[in-house]
Amino acid sequence: MTVFKTFLKVLKSCKGTIILYSAILIFFAVFNTTSGDNTTNFVAEKPDVFIINQGEREGITKNLIQYFEENANIIDIKNEENAIRDALFYRDINYIIYIPENFREDFLDHKNPTIEVKSTGDYMASLADMMLERYLKLANIYHETFASEEEIIENLNKTLSEKLEVEVTSKLDTDHLTQIANYYNFANYSLLAGCVFVICMVLFSFGRDVVRKRTIISSMNYKKYNRKLLLSNGLFAVSLWAFYVLVSFFLFGSSLFTIHTIFYLINSLIFTFCALSIAFLIGNLVHNREAINGIVNVVALGSSFLCGAFVPTEYLPDFVLKIAHVLPSYWYINTNERLKTMEVFNFENLKPIFLNMGVVILFILLFVVMMNFISGKMRKTNS
Amino acid sequence: MFFHNFKYSLKTLFRNKMLIFWTFAFPIILGTLFNMAFQDIEKNEKLDLIDIAIIDNDYLKNNPLFQETFQVLGEENGEEQLFRIQYVEEAEARELLSKNEITGYLVLEGINHPKVVVNHNGINETVFQSVVEEIIDIQEILKNVSGKWIQDNIPDLTQDINSGIENFDSWYTVIYQDIMKMLDEENIRIQDTSSDHLSYTMIEYYTLIAMTCLYGGILGMSAINQCLANMSSNGKRVSVSPISKGKLILSSALASYVTQLFGLLLLFLYTILVIHVDYGTNLPLVILLSLVGTLSGLSLGVLIASVIKSNENTKVGIMISFTMLGCVLSGMMGITMKYVVDKNIPIVNKLNPVNMITDGFYSLYYYDTFHRYYFNVISLLAFSFLLIGISAFCLRRQKYDSI
Repeated sequence: MTVFKTFLKVLKSCKGTIILYSAILIFFAVFNTTSGDNTTNFVAEKPDVFIINQGEREGITKNLIQYFEENANIIDIKNEENAIRDALFYRDINYIIYIPENFREDFLDHKNPTIEVKSTGDYMASLADMMLERYLKLANIYHETFASEEEIIENLNKTLSEKLEVEVTSKLDTDHLTQIANYYNFANYSLLAGCVFVICMVLFSFGRDVVRKRTIISSMNYKKYNRKLLLSNGLFAVSLWAFYVLVSFFLFGSSLFTIHTIFYLINSLIFTFCALSIAFLIGNLVHNREAINGIVNVVALGSSFLCGAFVPTEYLPDFVLKIAHVLPSYWYINTNERLKTMEVFNFENLKPIFLNMGVVILFILLFVVMMNFISGKMRKTNS
Repeated sequence: MFFHNFKYSLKTLFRNKMLIFWTFAFPIILGTLFNMAFQDIEKNEKLDLIDIAIIDNDYLKNNPLFQETFQVLGEENGEEQLFRIQYVEEAEARELLSKNEITGYLVLEGINHPKVVVNHNGINETVFQSVVEEIIDIQEILKNVSGKWIQDNIPDLTQDINSGIENFDSWYTVIYQDIMKMLDEENIRIQDTSSDHLSYTMIEYYTLIAMTCLYGGILGMSAINQCLANMSSNGKRVSVSPISKGKLILSSALASYVTQLFGLLLLFLYTILVIHVDYGTNLPLVILLSLVGTLSGLSLGVLIASVIKSNENTKVGIMISFTMLGCVLSGMMGITMKYVVDKNIPIVNKLNPVNMITDGFYSLYYYDTFHRYYFNVISLLAFSFLLIGISAFCLRRQKYDSI
């Protein structure tokens, strides 16, 4: 009990940091949770568009705006140069359309007026660009054939309203599964940082010369002492994991009642043990209280950035992912990513997942062996 | 004496490994991680080739419109390539789709009945859908235009029928060719006037510079603590010496300012030469903003050192928490945060020194005018002088009978 009580005392002094790491995780998860309705019908993506109409909202101009109102999200911001520029930079809008003052008249006079646009150049902007091109092409063709504006608009709308039949095969709730995967990916940072920080602090406090000497001369068997210390740290790591799992149930609710969740939980539990072994390794290597903070940040931030905890793996460059193979976080996150799109749970599909888990377990063994080797060497040099 | 204390403060600061790690090395490590994580993110957001399959059945063979259009859009290294297309049987297409190897497939289920099958909603799926819809448009145009054409040409038509010439087919071909010609002409005029400076990941690096400026305050704090009798034995010794306190504090602060600037210079060189961060073209203004930004960090450090009566660890904790909160609000953990705060609660970021520095660099990079830049520089100066003023007020006439 003495060991455990002391452990709790040290833990109490670290509570600020643990709260900070957990708050970051929860903040990220809430910030990332967008209300996505899951439908099995096809719903086209809508780019965010801002239209500045310098002329009158009449005839073909009105119809063009209506077409975008139906097929894009018209963003409402202040019609002010700086506000619009900022919105484009921060991707609040993907595409700005400036309809010139005489657009309608020039169009009807066959003058083929120019429309000025500003775009972010990404996927959504390309989609908006395709929409505008499609509209203008159709309008020009119908204008060659039909004389009156009403006829042009009527035919235009008829053509544009032709919908293609799209069948969606997957019945998976991908939106929610992605959110859950992102949450567990991000937990990579919180688990690593939390475990490494706390355990290093504990080992540092117990390993201080005065404390160590006092423990050695006490009547307690050193094996029992070590076992209790290990158990206390393990208990902390598992509690931290259980807390994050609880938070995920609180955040995602009923969408967690699937078979996917079992694998998310097993995977994160294995990773928690891995974080524990990393923490013991670092705790045995570093005996400087001030250095612990720096090392925690470099290890946790480094592996989170490189393995895709913050930035989705599909956005990471190939060479970074290759480097990431040497870190356990990569295999942990890879499992989460695979689970996200898994529909059928059979041996064939689960094979890579078991393989990833196996690799993480191998990492745990490797760290334990390294730790024993190093601490053994250190004991020899100390004595 | 001023120079003496300056020299030794400088030496002490440079020998403090922890301080040097947090103010010099940590930003460079973070910058390297940012660079590795973010270098492809914007490239990946651009429209890339989409993998699709088309079911190779009789309806497709008899539909030149679909055949030709997808031939052009799928031509390898062609100018208009948008897709990587595989022509397969339906069973195979389903298999490919279930393995997520294609975005979706197109199947013609009748003469004019195309259907697209996809796994889920998404941007690639939407592009695929809208391309097929554009092809349907052409069929629709043909129907509408030929209807009108026949209406306009009824006298000729009756004449042709009377004279026994049945050339509907050739008429249809003429209309078809006319429309295809119109579609090919690309006579629409869209002028793209977007700025080249739209790389939002730059904000991440700007917040990094801002973070370094403010973290530098820890150096100032540490230097001032060395002069305070209630903080260190060194401070006690210095306090009983016959030197004016102003001189002592000023020389210590100057030493930490120089150390901060040195760290910032290293970070600038690293981000410009290795990471290729774009700070705009106006170098003197970049330097001015860095000098003022560093001053704001120093003033914050001096303020915390002199106003808060606590041990060094608490002071460093307050400094780091304040800076990190500022960094989050100015977009370090996701640039959307900065935009959301700027748009909805602008006063928060107008008072946030990290954002003043970040926003200063942003306006140099993205804006053509300097109003916003100078607003930030003046805000930073006001922030710094206010804090220095408060610190001076707290530090003056501090005397201890015993300690």
